[in-house]
Amino acid sequence: MSDARLWLERIRELPIPDGIRIMNVCGGHERSISMAGLRTALPPAIRLIPGPGCPVCICPEEDIYQAIRLGLEGDAVVATFGDMLRVPVNLGRQAVRSLEQAKAAGADIRPIASPIEARIIAEKAAGKPVVLFAVGFETTMAPVAALMAEGLPDNLYILCSGRLTWPAVRLLLDSDECVLDALVAPGHVATVMGPEEWGFVADDYRLPVAIAGFTPASLLRAIHSTIVQWLEETPRLDNCYPEAVKPGGNPKAREFLNRSFDVTAGNWRGIGPIAASAYALKPEFAAHDARLHFPDYDAGDRRHAGEMPAGCDCARVVLGRIQPDECRIYGKPCTPRSPVGPCMVSDEGACRIWWAAGVRKDSAAA
Amino acid sequence: MCLAVPMQIIRLDGFSARCAARGVEREVSLFMLQDEGVVPGDFVLVHVGYAIQKISREDAEATWELFDQILAAGDADA
Repeated sequence: MSDARLWLERIRELPIPDGIRIMNVCGGHERSISMAGLRTALPPAIRLIPGPGCPVCICPEEDIYQAIRLGLEGDAVVATFGDMLRVPVNLGRQAVRSLEQAKAAGADIRPIASPIEARIIAEKAAGKPVVLFAVGFETTMAPVAALMAEGLPDNLYILCSGRLTWPAVRLLLDSDECVLDALVAPGHVATVMGPEEWGFVADDYRLPVAIAGFTPASLLRAIHSTIVQWLEETPRLDNCYPEAVKPGGNPKAREFLNRSFDVTAGNWRGIGPIAASAYALKPEFAAHDARLHFPDYDAGDRRHAGEMPAGCDCARVVLGRIQPDECRIYGKPCTPRSPVGPCMVSDEGACRIWWAAGVRKDSAAA
Repeated sequence: MCLAVPMQIIRLDGFSARCAARGVEREVSLFMLQDEGVVPGDFVLVHVGYAIQKISREDAEATWELFDQILAAGDADA
Protein backbone atom coordinates (compact mmCIF):
# COMPACT_ATOMS: atom_id res chain seq x y z
CA MET A 1 0.00 0.00 0.00
CA SER A 2 3.00 2.30 0.27
CA ASP A 3 2.77 3.09 -3.44
CA ALA A 4 -0.88 3.98 -2.97
CA ARG A 5 -0.01 6.33 -0.08
CA LEU A 6 2.63 7.99 -2.23
CA TRP A 7 0.15 8.70 -5.03
CA LEU A 8 -2.43 9.88 -2.53
CA GLU A 9 0.09 12.36 -1.13
CA ARG A 10 0.96 13.57 -4.62
CA ILE A 11 -2.71 14.12 -5.41
CA ARG A 12 -3.22 16.04 -2.15
CA GLU A 13 -0.39 18.38 -3.10
CA LEU A 14 -2.19 19.44 -6.29
CA PRO A 15 -4.43 22.53 -6.52
CA ILE A 16 -7.43 20.38 -7.37
CA PRO A 17 -10.15 21.98 -9.49
CA ASP A 18 -13.32 22.00 -7.40
CA GLY A 19 -15.76 19.28 -8.34
CA ILE A 20 -13.65 17.67 -11.06
CA ARG A 21 -15.60 14.62 -12.26
CA ILE A 22 -13.46 11.61 -13.09
CA MET A 23 -15.37 8.72 -14.63
CA ASN A 24 -14.43 5.06 -14.77
CA VAL A 25 -16.13 2.61 -17.11
CA CYS A 26 -15.13 -0.67 -15.55
CA GLY A 27 -16.79 -2.64 -12.79
CA GLY A 28 -13.38 -3.87 -11.65
CA HIS A 29 -12.15 -0.29 -11.26
CA GLU A 30 -15.25 0.68 -9.34
CA ARG A 31 -14.86 -2.32 -7.05
CA SER A 32 -11.25 -1.43 -6.23
CA ILE A 33 -12.12 2.24 -5.70
CA SER A 34 -14.99 1.37 -3.37
CA MET A 35 -13.31 -1.44 -1.45
CA ALA A 36 -10.15 0.60 -0.90
CA GLY A 37 -12.26 3.56 0.23
CA LEU A 38 -10.61 5.90 -2.25
CA ARG A 39 -13.58 8.30 -2.30
CA THR A 40 -13.12 9.14 1.35
CA ALA A 41 -9.32 9.08 1.14
CA LEU A 42 -9.20 11.56 -1.74
CA PRO A 43 -9.85 15.29 -1.33
CA PRO A 44 -13.61 16.00 -1.48
CA ALA A 45 -13.16 18.22 -4.56
CA ILE A 46 -12.66 15.05 -6.61
CA ARG A 47 -15.80 13.24 -7.70
CA LEU A 48 -15.22 9.67 -8.86
CA ILE A 49 -18.12 8.57 -11.03
CA PRO A 50 -18.91 5.00 -12.12
CA GLY A 51 -20.09 5.08 -15.73
CA PRO A 52 -21.24 2.38 -18.15
CA GLY A 53 -18.80 -0.28 -16.95
CA CYS A 54 -21.09 -3.20 -16.27
CA PRO A 55 -21.87 -5.37 -19.31
CA VAL A 56 -24.59 -7.25 -17.44
CA CYS A 57 -26.34 -3.98 -16.59
CA ILE A 58 -26.48 -2.71 -20.16
CA CYS A 59 -27.16 -6.11 -21.74
CA PRO A 60 -30.25 -5.66 -23.93
CA GLU A 61 -33.35 -6.65 -22.03
CA GLU A 62 -34.76 -8.15 -25.23
CA ASP A 63 -31.76 -10.50 -25.48
CA ILE A 64 -32.35 -11.80 -21.94
CA TYR A 65 -35.99 -12.30 -22.88
CA GLN A 66 -34.89 -14.28 -25.93
CA ALA A 67 -32.55 -16.42 -23.81
CA ILE A 68 -35.38 -17.14 -21.36
CA ARG A 69 -37.70 -18.19 -24.18
CA LEU A 70 -35.01 -20.35 -25.78
CA GLY A 71 -34.67 -22.21 -22.51
CA LEU A 72 -38.39 -22.50 -21.79
CA GLU A 73 -39.88 -23.01 -25.24
CA GLY A 74 -36.98 -23.62 -27.60
CA ASP A 75 -35.87 -26.74 -25.79
CA ALA A 76 -32.29 -25.49 -25.82
CA VAL A 77 -29.73 -25.64 -23.06
CA VAL A 78 -28.77 -22.04 -22.26
CA ALA A 79 -25.25 -21.46 -20.93
CA THR A 80 -24.37 -18.00 -19.66
CA PHE A 81 -22.23 -16.20 -17.10
CA GLY A 82 -23.63 -16.59 -13.60
CA ASP A 83 -24.25 -12.86 -13.24
CA MET A 84 -26.91 -13.01 -15.94
CA LEU A 85 -29.21 -15.44 -14.13
CA ARG A 86 -30.93 -12.98 -11.81
CA VAL A 87 -31.29 -10.03 -14.19
CA PRO A 88 -35.03 -9.38 -14.59
CA VAL A 89 -36.85 -8.61 -17.83
CA ASN A 90 -39.90 -6.40 -17.99
CA LEU A 91 -42.82 -8.79 -17.62
CA GLY A 92 -45.67 -9.05 -15.13
CA ARG A 93 -45.04 -10.50 -11.68
CA GLN A 94 -46.64 -13.82 -12.62
CA ALA A 95 -44.42 -14.35 -15.66
CA VAL A 96 -41.01 -16.00 -15.75
CA ARG A 97 -38.85 -12.87 -15.52
CA SER A 98 -35.28 -14.16 -15.27
CA LEU A 99 -33.12 -17.05 -16.34
CA GLU A 100 -33.05 -18.17 -12.71
CA GLN A 101 -36.85 -18.37 -12.69
CA ALA A 102 -36.74 -20.17 -16.05
CA LYS A 103 -34.41 -22.72 -14.47
CA ALA A 104 -36.82 -23.18 -11.57
CA ALA A 105 -39.61 -23.66 -14.13
CA GLY A 106 -37.71 -26.53 -15.72
CA ALA A 107 -35.51 -24.91 -18.37
CA ASP A 108 -31.94 -26.22 -18.63
CA ILE A 109 -29.98 -23.08 -17.72
CA ARG A 110 -26.27 -23.52 -16.95
CA PRO A 111 -24.25 -20.82 -15.23
CA ILE A 112 -20.70 -20.87 -16.57
CA ALA A 113 -17.44 -19.13 -15.70
CA SER A 114 -15.77 -19.60 -19.09
CA PRO A 115 -16.97 -19.91 -22.70
CA ILE A 116 -15.03 -23.20 -22.82
CA GLU A 117 -17.65 -24.69 -20.51
CA ALA A 118 -20.31 -24.05 -23.17
CA ARG A 119 -18.34 -26.17 -25.62
CA ILE A 120 -18.01 -28.98 -23.08
CA ILE A 121 -21.75 -28.81 -22.35
CA ALA A 122 -22.48 -28.97 -26.09
CA GLU A 123 -20.16 -31.96 -26.58
CA LYS A 124 -22.00 -33.84 -23.85
CA ALA A 125 -25.50 -32.79 -24.99
CA ALA A 126 -25.86 -35.56 -27.61
CA GLY A 127 -26.96 -33.23 -30.39
CA LYS A 128 -29.38 -31.17 -28.31
CA PRO A 129 -28.99 -27.47 -29.12
CA VAL A 130 -26.90 -25.51 -26.66
CA VAL A 131 -26.96 -21.70 -26.73
CA LEU A 132 -24.05 -19.70 -25.34
CA PHE A 133 -25.63 -16.41 -24.29
CA ALA A 134 -22.49 -14.31 -24.66
CA VAL A 135 -22.62 -11.07 -22.71
CA GLY A 136 -19.62 -8.86 -22.10
CA PHE A 137 -17.21 -6.20 -23.24
CA GLU A 138 -14.08 -6.68 -25.33
CA THR A 139 -12.26 -8.57 -22.55
CA THR A 140 -14.96 -11.24 -22.53
CA MET A 141 -15.77 -11.26 -26.22
CA ALA A 142 -12.15 -11.97 -27.19
CA PRO A 143 -12.31 -15.34 -25.38
CA VAL A 144 -15.65 -16.04 -27.10
CA ALA A 145 -13.98 -15.21 -30.41
CA ALA A 146 -11.09 -17.53 -29.52
CA LEU A 147 -13.57 -20.31 -28.77
CA MET A 148 -15.15 -19.73 -32.19
CA ALA A 149 -11.73 -19.78 -33.87
CA GLU A 150 -10.92 -23.09 -32.21
CA GLY A 151 -14.03 -24.62 -33.76
CA LEU A 152 -17.58 -25.04 -32.46
CA PRO A 153 -19.57 -28.27 -32.15
CA ASP A 154 -22.47 -28.34 -34.64
CA ASN A 155 -25.05 -28.04 -31.86
CA LEU A 156 -23.49 -24.97 -30.20
CA TYR A 157 -25.14 -21.64 -31.04
CA ILE A 158 -24.18 -18.19 -29.88
CA LEU A 159 -26.64 -15.52 -28.81
CA CYS A 160 -24.22 -12.62 -29.02
CA SER A 161 -24.84 -9.54 -26.86
CA GLY A 162 -21.23 -8.34 -26.70
CA ARG A 163 -20.52 -4.63 -26.64
CA LEU A 164 -17.54 -2.31 -27.14
CA THR A 165 -16.82 0.09 -24.30
CA TRP A 166 -15.44 3.17 -26.02
CA PRO A 167 -18.55 4.02 -28.13
CA ALA A 168 -20.56 4.50 -24.92
CA VAL A 169 -17.93 6.95 -23.66
CA ARG A 170 -18.09 8.84 -26.94
CA LEU A 171 -21.88 8.96 -26.60
CA LEU A 172 -21.51 10.46 -23.12
CA LEU A 173 -18.99 13.02 -24.36
CA ASP A 174 -21.32 14.01 -27.21
CA SER A 175 -24.27 14.34 -24.85
CA ASP A 176 -25.71 17.75 -23.95
CA GLU A 177 -25.52 16.71 -20.33
CA CYS A 178 -21.85 15.73 -20.24
CA VAL A 179 -21.12 14.17 -16.87
CA LEU A 180 -17.35 13.83 -16.92
CA ASP A 181 -14.28 16.05 -16.97
CA ALA A 182 -11.75 13.23 -17.24
CA LEU A 183 -11.70 9.49 -17.87
CA VAL A 184 -9.96 6.60 -16.18
CA ALA A 185 -9.93 4.09 -19.04
CA PRO A 186 -10.41 0.34 -18.47
CA GLY A 187 -7.15 -1.56 -18.02
CA HIS A 188 -8.18 -4.99 -19.18
CA VAL A 189 -10.11 -3.75 -22.20
CA ALA A 190 -6.91 -1.91 -23.16
CA THR A 191 -4.85 -5.05 -22.41
CA VAL A 192 -6.80 -6.80 -25.17
CA MET A 193 -7.48 -3.94 -27.58
CA GLY A 194 -4.44 -1.74 -27.00
CA PRO A 195 -4.29 1.69 -25.37
CA GLU A 196 -4.62 3.53 -28.66
CA GLU A 197 -8.40 3.31 -28.92
CA TRP A 198 -8.76 5.66 -25.91
CA GLY A 199 -6.77 8.48 -27.52
CA PHE A 200 -9.96 10.04 -28.89
CA VAL A 201 -10.89 11.38 -25.46
CA ALA A 202 -7.86 13.67 -25.49
CA ASP A 203 -7.64 14.20 -29.26
CA ASP A 204 -11.30 14.86 -30.07
CA TYR A 205 -12.67 16.19 -26.77
CA ARG A 206 -9.57 17.76 -25.18
CA LEU A 207 -10.21 15.87 -21.94
CA PRO A 208 -7.65 14.05 -19.77
CA VAL A 209 -7.57 10.26 -20.04
CA ALA A 210 -5.42 7.67 -18.26
CA ILE A 211 -5.55 3.89 -18.43
CA ALA A 212 -5.46 2.28 -14.99
CA GLY A 213 -4.86 -1.15 -13.56
CA PHE A 214 -6.80 -2.50 -10.62
CA THR A 215 -4.68 -1.88 -7.56
CA PRO A 216 -5.34 1.29 -5.56
CA ALA A 217 -1.84 2.49 -6.50
CA SER A 218 -2.51 2.11 -10.22
CA LEU A 219 -5.90 3.82 -9.94
CA LEU A 220 -4.46 6.69 -7.90
CA ARG A 221 -1.62 7.10 -10.37
CA ALA A 222 -4.18 7.40 -13.18
CA ILE A 223 -6.33 9.83 -11.17
CA HIS A 224 -3.21 11.91 -10.47
CA SER A 225 -2.39 11.90 -14.18
CA THR A 226 -5.83 13.13 -15.22
CA ILE A 227 -5.74 15.97 -12.68
CA VAL A 228 -2.25 17.05 -13.79
CA GLN A 229 -3.40 16.95 -17.41
CA TRP A 230 -6.38 19.08 -16.42
CA LEU A 231 -4.27 21.62 -14.54
CA GLU A 232 -1.68 21.89 -17.29
CA GLU A 233 -4.34 21.92 -20.00
CA THR A 234 -2.41 19.23 -21.83
CA PRO A 235 -4.87 16.37 -22.31
CA ARG A 236 -3.18 13.25 -23.62
CA LEU A 237 -3.58 9.51 -23.30
CA ASP A 238 -1.48 8.29 -20.37
CA ASN A 239 -0.97 4.55 -19.96
CA CYS A 240 -0.69 4.03 -16.20
CA TYR A 241 -0.93 0.23 -16.54
CA PRO A 242 2.04 -0.54 -18.82
CA GLU A 243 2.61 -3.86 -16.99
CA ALA A 244 -0.32 -5.37 -18.90
CA VAL A 245 -1.29 -2.77 -21.51
CA LYS A 246 1.11 -3.01 -24.45
CA PRO A 247 0.97 -1.01 -27.69
CA GLY A 248 -1.50 -2.77 -29.97
CA GLY A 249 -2.91 -4.82 -27.10
CA ASN A 250 -3.01 -8.58 -27.58
CA PRO A 251 -2.67 -9.01 -31.38
CA LYS A 252 -3.93 -12.60 -31.35
CA ALA A 253 -7.04 -11.66 -29.38
CA ARG A 254 -7.77 -8.82 -31.78
CA GLU A 255 -7.26 -11.14 -34.73
CA PHE A 256 -9.84 -13.56 -33.30
CA LEU A 257 -12.29 -10.72 -32.66
CA ASN A 258 -11.90 -9.53 -36.25
CA ARG A 259 -12.33 -13.02 -37.64
CA SER A 260 -15.42 -13.84 -35.59
CA PHE A 261 -17.41 -10.63 -35.32
CA ASP A 262 -18.65 -7.67 -37.27
CA VAL A 263 -19.13 -4.43 -35.35
CA THR A 264 -22.67 -3.14 -35.77
CA ALA A 265 -25.15 -0.79 -34.12
CA GLY A 266 -26.54 -2.22 -30.91
CA ASN A 267 -29.01 -1.45 -28.16
CA TRP A 268 -27.76 -0.73 -24.61
CA ARG A 269 -30.29 -1.25 -21.83
CA GLY A 270 -31.13 2.08 -20.26
CA ILE A 271 -29.09 3.97 -22.84
CA GLY A 272 -30.57 3.06 -26.22
CA PRO A 273 -28.96 2.27 -29.56
CA ILE A 274 -25.31 3.20 -30.09
CA ALA A 275 -23.73 3.08 -33.55
CA ALA A 276 -20.82 0.68 -34.10
CA SER A 277 -20.93 -0.59 -30.53
CA ALA A 278 -22.06 -4.23 -30.80
CA TYR A 279 -20.39 -7.49 -31.74
CA ALA A 280 -22.41 -9.61 -34.18
CA LEU A 281 -21.40 -12.99 -35.60
CA LYS A 282 -19.79 -12.78 -39.03
CA PRO A 283 -21.75 -14.43 -41.88
CA GLU A 284 -19.22 -17.29 -41.89
CA PHE A 285 -20.60 -18.28 -38.48
CA ALA A 286 -24.26 -18.07 -39.57
CA ALA A 287 -24.73 -21.79 -38.85
CA HIS A 288 -23.95 -21.02 -35.18
CA ASP A 289 -25.89 -17.77 -34.86
CA ALA A 290 -28.72 -18.27 -32.39
CA ARG A 291 -30.51 -15.22 -33.79
CA LEU A 292 -30.69 -16.85 -37.22
CA HIS A 293 -31.30 -20.38 -36.00
CA PHE A 294 -34.08 -19.53 -33.53
CA PRO A 295 -35.85 -16.51 -35.09
CA ASP A 296 -39.15 -17.43 -33.46
CA TYR A 297 -37.80 -16.54 -30.04
CA ASP A 298 -36.78 -12.95 -30.60
CA ALA A 299 -38.15 -10.12 -28.52
CA GLY A 300 -41.47 -9.69 -30.33
CA ASP A 301 -43.78 -6.90 -29.28
CA ARG A 302 -43.87 -6.33 -25.54
CA ARG A 303 -44.50 -3.25 -23.47
CA HIS A 304 -41.31 -1.79 -22.04
CA ALA A 305 -39.08 -4.11 -24.10
CA GLY A 306 -35.49 -2.95 -23.85
CA GLU A 307 -36.04 -0.66 -20.88
CA MET A 308 -34.68 -0.79 -17.36
CA PRO A 309 -37.13 -2.17 -14.78
CA ALA A 310 -40.01 0.15 -13.90
CA GLY A 311 -39.43 2.47 -10.96
CA CYS A 312 -35.67 1.93 -10.92
CA ASP A 313 -33.02 4.53 -11.73
CA CYS A 314 -30.47 2.13 -13.26
CA ALA A 315 -30.68 4.03 -16.56
CA ARG A 316 -29.32 7.15 -14.88
CA VAL A 317 -26.80 5.18 -12.83
CA VAL A 318 -25.22 3.48 -15.86
CA LEU A 319 -24.89 6.86 -17.58
CA GLY A 320 -23.19 8.37 -14.53
CA ARG A 321 -25.94 10.99 -14.20
CA ILE A 322 -26.57 10.00 -10.59
CA GLN A 323 -24.50 8.06 -8.08
CA PRO A 324 -25.93 4.69 -6.97
CA ASP A 325 -27.15 5.91 -3.56
CA GLU A 326 -29.11 8.69 -5.27
CA CYS A 327 -31.42 6.11 -6.87
CA ARG A 328 -34.96 6.33 -5.47
CA ILE A 329 -34.98 2.69 -4.43
CA TYR A 330 -31.33 2.11 -3.42
CA GLY A 331 -31.50 -0.06 -0.30
CA LYS A 332 -35.27 0.15 -0.09
CA PRO A 333 -36.44 -2.09 -1.59
CA CYS A 334 -33.47 -2.71 -3.93
CA THR A 335 -30.66 -4.71 -2.28
CA PRO A 336 -28.38 -7.54 -3.46
CA ARG A 337 -30.75 -10.02 -1.79
CA SER A 338 -33.79 -8.75 -3.71
CA PRO A 339 -32.44 -6.65 -6.56
CA VAL A 340 -34.84 -4.60 -8.67
CA GLY A 341 -32.44 -3.38 -11.35
CA PRO A 342 -29.41 -4.99 -12.97
CA CYS A 343 -26.97 -2.55 -11.30
CA MET A 344 -27.81 -4.27 -7.99
CA VAL A 345 -27.66 -7.77 -9.51
CA SER A 346 -24.25 -7.90 -11.12
CA ASP A 347 -20.94 -8.09 -9.27
CA GLU A 348 -19.88 -5.33 -11.63
CA GLY A 349 -22.96 -3.19 -11.10
CA ALA A 350 -22.22 0.11 -9.38
CA CYS A 351 -25.12 -0.29 -6.93
CA ARG A 352 -24.07 -3.79 -5.90
CA ILE A 353 -20.47 -2.64 -5.42
CA TRP A 354 -21.45 0.40 -3.33
CA TRP A 355 -23.75 -1.75 -1.22
CA ALA A 356 -21.00 -4.32 -0.65
CA ALA A 357 -18.66 -1.49 0.35
CA GLY A 358 -21.13 -0.42 3.03
CA VAL A 359 -22.66 2.65 1.42
CA ARG A 360 -26.21 3.18 2.64
CA LYS A 361 -28.58 5.94 1.61
CA ASP A 362 -27.53 9.32 3.10
CA SER A 363 -24.25 7.89 4.39
CA ALA A 364 -20.92 9.25 3.19
CA ALA A 365 -19.75 7.68 -0.08
CA ALA A 366 -17.29 4.79 0.16
CA MET B 1 -16.82 -10.74 -15.17
CA CYS B 2 -14.27 -8.19 -16.39
CA LEU B 3 -11.93 -8.90 -13.52
CA ALA B 4 -8.88 -10.76 -14.76
CA VAL B 5 -7.07 -12.90 -12.20
CA PRO B 6 -3.29 -13.38 -12.22
CA MET B 7 -2.29 -17.05 -12.23
CA GLN B 8 0.99 -18.93 -12.46
CA ILE B 9 1.44 -21.63 -15.08
CA ILE B 10 2.24 -25.03 -13.57
CA ARG B 11 2.34 -27.15 -16.73
CA LEU B 12 1.38 -26.98 -20.37
CA ASP B 13 -0.57 -29.32 -22.60
CA GLY B 14 -0.78 -27.77 -26.06
CA PHE B 15 -2.80 -24.56 -25.76
CA SER B 16 -4.14 -25.65 -22.39
CA ALA B 17 -2.35 -24.91 -19.13
CA ARG B 18 -2.75 -25.94 -15.54
CA CYS B 19 -2.53 -22.68 -13.59
CA ALA B 20 -2.62 -21.77 -9.92
CA ALA B 21 -3.46 -18.71 -7.87
CA ARG B 22 -3.27 -18.71 -4.07
CA GLY B 23 -3.51 -22.53 -4.04
CA VAL B 24 -6.52 -22.70 -6.36
CA GLU B 25 -5.85 -24.55 -9.61
CA ARG B 26 -7.72 -24.51 -12.87
CA GLU B 27 -7.37 -25.20 -16.58
CA VAL B 28 -6.64 -22.09 -18.63
CA SER B 29 -6.59 -21.65 -22.39
CA LEU B 30 -3.42 -20.11 -23.79
CA PHE B 31 -5.01 -19.83 -27.23
CA MET B 32 -4.72 -16.03 -27.21
CA LEU B 33 -1.07 -16.13 -26.09
CA GLN B 34 -0.01 -18.84 -28.56
CA ASP B 35 2.62 -16.54 -30.13
CA GLU B 36 4.04 -15.33 -26.81
CA GLY B 37 6.12 -18.39 -25.90
CA VAL B 38 4.81 -18.74 -22.36
CA VAL B 39 6.41 -21.46 -20.23
CA PRO B 40 5.71 -23.05 -16.84
CA GLY B 41 6.50 -20.60 -14.07
CA ASP B 42 5.25 -17.60 -16.06
CA PHE B 43 2.45 -15.44 -14.69
CA VAL B 44 -0.57 -14.64 -16.84
CA LEU B 45 -3.74 -12.59 -16.48
CA VAL B 46 -6.70 -14.96 -16.78
CA HIS B 47 -10.13 -13.76 -17.79
CA VAL B 48 -13.11 -16.16 -18.14
CA GLY B 49 -10.75 -19.11 -18.53
CA TYR B 50 -8.45 -17.51 -21.10
CA ALA B 51 -5.02 -15.99 -20.52
CA ILE B 52 -5.06 -12.50 -22.04
CA GLN B 53 -1.54 -11.26 -21.20
CA LYS B 54 1.77 -12.19 -19.60
CA ILE B 55 2.58 -10.22 -16.44
CA SER B 56 5.39 -10.08 -13.89
CA ARG B 57 5.46 -11.90 -10.56
CA GLU B 58 5.37 -8.53 -8.74
CA ASP B 59 2.21 -7.46 -10.56
CA ALA B 60 0.57 -10.81 -9.91
CA GLU B 61 1.30 -10.61 -6.20
CA ALA B 62 0.07 -7.03 -5.90
CA THR B 63 -3.23 -8.03 -7.49
CA TRP B 64 -3.61 -11.12 -5.31
CA GLU B 65 -3.30 -8.94 -2.22
CA LEU B 66 -6.04 -6.69 -3.56
CA PHE B 67 -8.33 -9.67 -4.21
CA ASP B 68 -7.77 -10.95 -0.68
CA GLN B 69 -9.07 -7.63 0.63
CA ILE B 70 -12.05 -7.64 -1.73
CA LEU B 71 -12.95 -11.23 -0.88
CA ALA B 72 -12.75 -10.47 2.82
CA ALA B 73 -15.12 -7.53 2.33
CA GLY B 74 -17.41 -9.65 0.11
CA ASP B 75 -17.66 -12.35 2.79
CA ALA B 76 -18.71 -9.77 5.32
CA ASP B 77 -21.42 -8.57 2.93
CA ALA B 78 -22.80 -12.01 2.05
